[in-house]
Amino acid sequence: MGHRVKFKLNGRELEAPEGQLVIDAAKEAGVEIPHYCYHPALGNPGNCRMCLVEVAGAPKPQASCRTSVRPGMEVKSDSDAAKRAQASALELHLVNHPLDCPVCDQAGECGLQDYYMKIGRYQSQVREDKQHKEKRIAAGPHVMLDQERCILCTRCTRFVDNVTQTHELGIFQRGHAERIELAPGMILDNAYSGNVVDICPVGALTDRDFRYKVRVWYLDHTDSVCPGCERGCNISVHTNTQRTWHNDGKRVARLKPRHNHEVNGYWMCDEGRYGIADLDADRLGKVLSLKPQKTEMSWEAMASELAGRLQSAGPGLAVVASGMLSNEDWAAYKALFVDALKVGKHFFSPEPDQVGEGDSLLRRKIKTANLRGAEALGLRSGSFSELETMLESGRIKALYVIERDLYRIYGDKAPSLLSKAEATVLQGPNKGPLGDHYTYRLPATAYVEEEGHFTNFEGKVQAYRKALEPIGESRPDWAIFTLLLKALETRPKAVLA
Amino acid sequence: MTRILTEHFDTEPELHEIDVYRRLGGYAGLSKALGMSRAEVVAEVVKSNLRGLGGAGFPTGGKWQTVPGEDKVPGPRYVVANADESEPGCFKDRVLITRAPHQLLEGVLIAAHAIGAKETFIFIRGEYQNQYDVLARAIAQADAAGFTAHASIALMRGAGAYISGLDTALLETMEGKKAWPRQPPPFPTVSGLMGRPTVVNNVETLSMLPSIMVKGGEWFAKIGSPKNGGTVVFSVSGHVEQPGIYEVPMGSKLRDVLTLAGGVRGGRKLKCVIPGGTSMPPLLEKDLDIALDFDAIRAAGTFLGAGGMIVLDETADAVEVAHNIERFLAHESCGQCTPCREGSFWSEEILERMLEGKGEGEDVRNLARIGENITGKVICALGDTVGMVTRAYISKFPEDFNKRVATDGS
Amino acid sequence: MKTKAPVRSPFTPEQEKELLSWTTKYPYKNMGLIEALRCVQAWQRQVSEPAAAYVAELFDLPLNHVWGVATFFPTFTQWKTGKHRVGLCHGLSCSLAGSSRMEACLSKTLGVPEKTATSDGTFSWETMECLGACEQGPALQVNDRLQGRATQALIEELARDLK
Repeated sequence: MGHRVKFKLNGRELEAPEGQLVIDAAKEAGVEIPHYCYHPALGNPGNCRMCLVEVAGAPKPQASCRTSVRPGMEVKSDSDAAKRAQASALELHLVNHPLDCPVCDQAGECGLQDYYMKIGRYQSQVREDKQHKEKRIAAGPHVMLDQERCILCTRCTRFVDNVTQTHELGIFQRGHAERIELAPGMILDNAYSGNVVDICPVGALTDRDFRYKVRVWYLDHTDSVCPGCERGCNISVHTNTQRTWHNDGKRVARLKPRHNHEVNGYWMCDEGRYGIADLDADRLGKVLSLKPQKTEMSWEAMASELAGRLQSAGPGLAVVASGMLSNEDWAAYKALFVDALKVGKHFFSPEPDQVGEGDSLLRRKIKTANLRGAEALGLRSGSFSELETMLESGRIKALYVIERDLYRIYGDKAPSLLSKAEATVLQGPNKGPLGDHYTYRLPATAYVEEEGHFTNFEGKVQAYRKALEPIGESRPDWAIFTLLLKALETRPKAVLA
Repeated sequence: MTRILTEHFDTEPELHEIDVYRRLGGYAGLSKALGMSRAEVVAEVVKSNLRGLGGAGFPTGGKWQTVPGEDKVPGPRYVVANADESEPGCFKDRVLITRAPHQLLEGVLIAAHAIGAKETFIFIRGEYQNQYDVLARAIAQADAAGFTAHASIALMRGAGAYISGLDTALLETMEGKKAWPRQPPPFPTVSGLMGRPTVVNNVETLSMLPSIMVKGGEWFAKIGSPKNGGTVVFSVSGHVEQPGIYEVPMGSKLRDVLTLAGGVRGGRKLKCVIPGGTSMPPLLEKDLDIALDFDAIRAAGTFLGAGGMIVLDETADAVEVAHNIERFLAHESCGQCTPCREGSFWSEEILERMLEGKGEGEDVRNLARIGENITGKVICALGDTVGMVTRAYISKFPEDFNKRVATDGS
Repeated sequence: MKTKAPVRSPFTPEQEKELLSWTTKYPYKNMGLIEALRCVQAWQRQVSEPAAAYVAELFDLPLNHVWGVATFFPTFTQWKTGKHRVGLCHGLSCSLAGSSRMEACLSKTLGVPEKTATSDGTFSWETMECLGACEQGPALQVNDRLQGRATQALIEELARDLK
């Protein structure tokens, strides 16, 4: 591929790199040519025959995913002949299609529906019994397979063969007896299995956890970044706030990857995709002081009281945080804990509970989005075994824990460790198993309820946007830190004894 | 009547033995070719107007000329003999291999020299196990005589599947994959077996090479018709008195081949003749004076194909015939592309329903429409055939079809 | 990373040796796959999942590839054929020559329907696509060897002599 050449598309004079696929050149010019099997990351097998276009001088329609731009080429994707060719391919895709739309999760984002409305709109001429294959196959922990709906575009088999190289799916048998199936003895349990649902143009491969939950046309989409590891895959958060009685009342319906050439390509891992689990479960919504008894407070009252306790803790103040904090959070964190409170000991190392498996595809071992944010501000973390020693020795007067579940670090020892400090603060979205052992509980927003930036492991700063309203009284972490900082500044200076 | 390949078939029962073959001049063509440069051999074949006799009719010399020279693309290149004969109606390769295996081997070895191949393969359909044994024996004889010094010949058996007879699908099969046709470019001569330049030629085509080398391309071209050199072997079966193979010069009349085969059985009336294997549209009584070569036959709307001539008399029913062929195509469709995979089976189902007496008024129109939606919009010729076949029988025998559908308003 | 359990071999040592030889018979390893699977079909009269898994391991190919090949080609079955696998052509010429009558004859003489082995495992029969013997239709083959024109007499003779 070298220099740019001139060609015509639907009568328009265009330019494209010589040798670029016509379907790509058209897309760049804003012309969508119908297609199923072609995918920029999975190749162009040209088996669906939907992308047929008229090429001047060619005796028959050409597959635009298999045709390269040549100088002076004249292509028509919207002529009667081209549309007839595309419609004829569509009809043949639908001949044995079960038309499950009323019960199929793909409805509303289905390649067959979409193209039928665009270029189909014909009366079916099928008088035969449709071919029956297996439906409702649990292909893996996350994916459901319906062989009847499958159009055999081979996107999924190409994904498991070329991207994950795990080979769980295949097309077996020949001709109209063909079906997508799990390879003998295998299940679709690779770390990226959810992506096959994204790439399947129809309802053959669907998410098990999204099955029958909510219709896609009720969902809002918000650009975001997955906080699951330091790769920072670009995602889209799909939320359901219109039909609150669907999806078991959960506001986040699903996560989908967003294409980013430099970060995650077209994919995201299952940990990130399905890890959001129930965002609304176990949420902190009230500003509470728990000792001596549970008392609801206002933010201002809490800030005033807490500022005092933090200040009087002096060098006995230790802070636990995590790479879950955004750049905005870290900046406010530094202003409060480092610049104002002069905290000497920070504990935000990902070990031992925020590390996991990495691989050569997307997953990184560090399972938080923004450790870089802390490093960029010059913050250094101690180890949690160090903190344990300090707590045991009674040196910690106040322990401030932000977006971290100490139970996952210290297990059953955690409650007793917490009791070693005079005052403890839990700030975060979730109560967790230790929520009742803290002195103060400050509700923070989850990342989908705020705007912010994460810096990924390569130093790339990426924005995530607000998809939902905060729950109860919760506020972004940086807003809480800023509130505390203000409360500190308005206090009389500590009197040195 | 000039015969090239089958010249000695009636008089030499032991032609498959190497000493008999050599006595009759066998392997002289190879010797001559080895004394010529590669370019000279190719030029001779170009001059001969030899066309691909496996179905496509592509000029053989022209195909060889697209093989990049070793200066441009160094490294292995291959010759593959396509002995995967599976087109219904065709059995000439079976007979040619059984009776004259050395003629094929000699042709393969000439082609190897022409393109600089050091390894060649004969891919033979698994159902031709007897022919496999014949070839294995002949190869051993050729090895012993030293004829394979410049290029080895290896055998490989297929595993069924008509589609593996298509050149790119054959290469896929040889590479241990499903026989899914490729979508050139690149063509096999540029990127074929394992990405190497590969010439895939039919058994009959290769068998012509020895005589072209011995007697010259010009001689070969003079036999036959313009741009269609030499002879062609027809496999004749169906409603004829003497089914069998018949070799005639290119451009011979259909009527003449029919006569050679003894005419329609029992003196019955001719319904139609399928000229090239069931994938090709049939010809009618009025077409009997058509010249049988790759180009002239196109004017009658059909193809010479691999010369699988099936004769049908008045007892044949076009709907049954169309059903038989569509059932074959649906069964053999590789399934790679949607229009062929779905359309072939749909066509079969409609025709079956018509045979069961449940035809409806729209069926005939639908069959034709489905056919039109498939032909020209698929990956390979099998798909094109799916649409071509139904439309051909509907247009030529509308009465047979119309009587199978319920009349409007009864 | 998934660790694969070692594949248990459903073959004898001699058979394993022959399968191994197909990995080196041709200039590229994968070229031997079809012939190797033909051996499997001949020995076990089918290509089963454990056999495919073994062959996949041998050729260093993913199982989905080998299973795709094993289920694509008609020579390979996932049902056990008879020791003598009888094929009757039902292509156009053979159909015109009365192949459907011979289907009935096979069913009656062998006592089994299409694609079902006899209880003693000796025979199975099935219709096949054009066998390239159109001049002697309806063509009949046994284990990939053409027997000639199917007639009641030929079928009965085969049923007798091959037992």
